[in-house]
Amino acid sequence: MNPLQRKLNKKMDILIQRENSGQLNRKNMNRAIRRALQNKLALVGLGIFLTIIILCFFAPLFTQYDPLKINIRVALQSPSTAHVFGTDTIGRDIFSRILYGGRLSILIGFGSAVGASFLGVVIGAWAGYRGGWFDFLMLRTSELFLFFPQIILCLLLVTMVGQSVGNLLGIFIFTGWCGIFRMTRARMLSLREEEYVQALKVLGVPEPIICYKHILPNALGPVFVNITLSTAIFILQEAALSFMGLGVPLEIATWGNILNVANNLNILKVNWWIWLPVGTMISLFVLSINFIGDGLRDSTDPSQQG
Amino acid sequence: MLTYTIRRLLIIIPMLILASFLVFLGLELMPGDAVSFMADPETLANMDPARLEAVREQLGLNAPFLVRYFNWLLCVLKGDFGYSLTSGVPIKQIVFNTLPATIELSLAALLFSTILGTVLGIISALKRGQMTDNVLTIAGLLGMSVPQFFIGLMSLFIFAINLGWLPIGGRLRPGYESFIDRLPHLILPAVVLGLALTAGVMRYARSSMLDVANKDFIKTARSKGLSEWRVNFIHGFRVAMTPVAILLGLRLPTLIGGSVVIEQVFQWPGIGNEFLSAIRGQNYPMVMMIAFFMVLATMVSSFLIDLVTALLDPRVRLS
Repeated sequence: MNPLQRKLNKKMDILIQRENSGQLNRKNMNRAIRRALQNKLALVGLGIFLTIIILCFFAPLFTQYDPLKINIRVALQSPSTAHVFGTDTIGRDIFSRILYGGRLSILIGFGSAVGASFLGVVIGAWAGYRGGWFDFLMLRTSELFLFFPQIILCLLLVTMVGQSVGNLLGIFIFTGWCGIFRMTRARMLSLREEEYVQALKVLGVPEPIICYKHILPNALGPVFVNITLSTAIFILQEAALSFMGLGVPLEIATWGNILNVANNLNILKVNWWIWLPVGTMISLFVLSINFIGDGLRDSTDPSQQG
Repeated sequence: MLTYTIRRLLIIIPMLILASFLVFLGLELMPGDAVSFMADPETLANMDPARLEAVREQLGLNAPFLVRYFNWLLCVLKGDFGYSLTSGVPIKQIVFNTLPATIELSLAALLFSTILGTVLGIISALKRGQMTDNVLTIAGLLGMSVPQFFIGLMSLFIFAINLGWLPIGGRLRPGYESFIDRLPHLILPAVVLGLALTAGVMRYARSSMLDVANKDFIKTARSKGLSEWRVNFIHGFRVAMTPVAILLGLRLPTLIGGSVVIEQVFQWPGIGNEFLSAIRGQNYPMVMMIAFFMVLATMVSSFLIDLVTALLDPRVRLS
């Protein structure tokens, strides 16, 4: 055996050994890790999500302060044992404001997401199933909505109808249905060609029942994922609008309204405890929703798995 | 190409007309009418109703709704956008004074997010499944989750207030002459506005690059013995970028909407700030006209982007 052959043999041995021990399977291994990591992310997300939900909705258990109680004597105190995140310009406890404000912010986000999805699904299913002028009209309308920067449209509508929690909810639903509409419509377009639909038609089942009862459930998978993701978007939007002072009326505590005072440069500079914790809270909550939504999408939609 | 242009125009013009109609409808629904905007409330209250009616008639305010709409549209087409209620300055002038600042900010943000997003997306795709990819994916999610204005506040707090590297806000100061003078003011708002878009671009560039990696022409390039670098960047990159360029058009509404918030945080004297102060001052004609301008800007630029992508990629214009 010449030296070269010996060298090659040795190399081959190492390769076989590696393959047997699973090292050569690196690509697969990484993929497995990635999957696991993504699931782990969704789990971490779920953990953060539940913690914040519990903190907000059982707020009286965690803080004894009234979020609306004004107490000028303790205004602008930095964090201490009495006030975990300090107090704001008129002496309200920031920690309790974050918890109670979270309730409303989360409810607005979730409510708008559910409402917008409902509207989008109902219109999208019918438009996709029937086609024709209704489909054409709704498709063009949704294009117009997509061209309009959503926050500008929200601001316009707020000026027209005024600021209140209900109005904001309505505005979010009115401006947010297009994405789900297009998604449902596209799914319905392909589903309506299935054979069971023809069978139902032959049987004389009324059209709305075919559309909503028999086809629609097959198109709903991605919609549920989208509800989580749009909740995140609406929470961010409420925060942005309230930050500019044009969302929920200022006297009601929401995450965006607490941040509103950070428009003042002096507060931004000196009283960091007013805006930093609540901003972090919004970011964490939205991040957790995005983690969950991403995990859901990966596990439900095979086309997204990489 | 000509047919494609005409087809796009045929889509965009009805939408512009519809948008202008909505703006006019909004103006009509706002409280008060043109006469009450022209005189102060006290004079108005003491005015003879018959004379008030005559003024309305003379101004064409009693004409049917559609006639008023067409009169208004003619004025707008001639470049007469009306006057600001609070300062009496023509809206046209206000728009032209503030628009350049917004365009400067948006372009800088667009440039920043496109470059950073594509680079990170490609790295992520090439290192697919590895640690770098995972970290970038999480970073992307983080970028989509943190409120834009909160990133703005934090960057102001860190870089402008505590470190003092960059100015706190604004755009112009006395004595500023060139773009270089203004550049420090532009950096923070542009980066913050761009960051929110970067995450989207990154995701898109990553999946597009992965998509291309499985194509036959990449295998051909690789089997020719070209270096990995050449395969990825000369052959793969060009094709992978077309969908990213299309995404540019979809990002415009986000960009223009985001600029309103960012201009508020950094006191950037752009059209978004003007818009907000008009809303706060219930300066309805201003609000409506600026909204119309923003939609106009989105539509026209997405039209231009469509044309450019069609030029780049024959598949787009033939489909």
